[in-house]
Amino acid sequence: MPSASSTTLPDFERLVEQHYGSMKRLARTFVASDAVAEEVVQDTWLAVVTGIDGFEGRSSLTTWVFSILTNKAKTRGVRERRTIPLSCVGASEPDEPAVDPDRFQCDDDAWPGHWATPPRPWQRPERRLLSLEARDHLKAALDDLPERQRVVVTLRDVEGLDADEVCDLLGLSPENQRVLLHRGRARLRAALESYVEGV
Amino acid sequence: MDEINCKQLVELVTPYLEDSLDEPTLDLVEEHLVMCDWCVDYVEQMRATIGALAGLPREPVPERLRVAVAAALEERR
Repeated sequence: MPSASSTTLPDFERLVEQHYGSMKRLARTFVASDAVAEEVVQDTWLAVVTGIDGFEGRSSLTTWVFSILTNKAKTRGVRERRTIPLSCVGASEPDEPAVDPDRFQCDDDAWPGHWATPPRPWQRPERRLLSLEARDHLKAALDDLPERQRVVVTLRDVEGLDADEVCDLLGLSPENQRVLLHRGRARLRAALESYVEGV
Repeated sequence: MDEINCKQLVELVTPYLEDSLDEPTLDLVEEHLVMCDWCVDYVEQMRATIGALAGLPREPVPERLRVAVAAALEERR
């Protein structure tokens, strides 16, 4: 990320384009409607443009932008009396295996716990997963994830933030962050698997 | 534990890819992967999934936001 000063501003147009969808998705977890989430995104960018001189580069610019967004969204959420306890995951969360247990051999079989229905290799995944159709499929599967998984996967894998940054932004423990990421990614792999095998 | 099975391996893929497994567990995962092509395929599919997420096309920016940011930038000048 470029360091910001009044003479060398970052390419805001590109940054807005790059982060818009994820910002809206994150904001939407705190506020009650898409319209309010869009307002929060806009307020955030205006605050960023106005306050960029105060950005000291201690975090990445992306993390700084997302932390402003989170604060603004939380404030709006409290005003709307909508607070999602994003950090409430763990003991109360039903156990969710990464892979359907029926795909493994059971205790009576020759190799308990080993694959009964193994994954079939994806031929040239880098090409197949880049098709417009595959992307639409993945996008739909991402939108279908439970909210907390969706936000964590979006920040980690779509935006490329690291685990510590996501824990800070969302107030998650490292363990909860990992569980949400793990479950979300596992569901998305399964969605791509059914897409690849159905083509 | 002296070895893990496939069902256990798939639950360790995230910390494995994050490089955050403790050493004894990492050894178990690596020993399993040497023997099990199916789990290698699974790990590869997980990497491909993560790669595809990074390559998702971006949602279009509403004109209103574009205009507001341009105006705020103009005001700075």
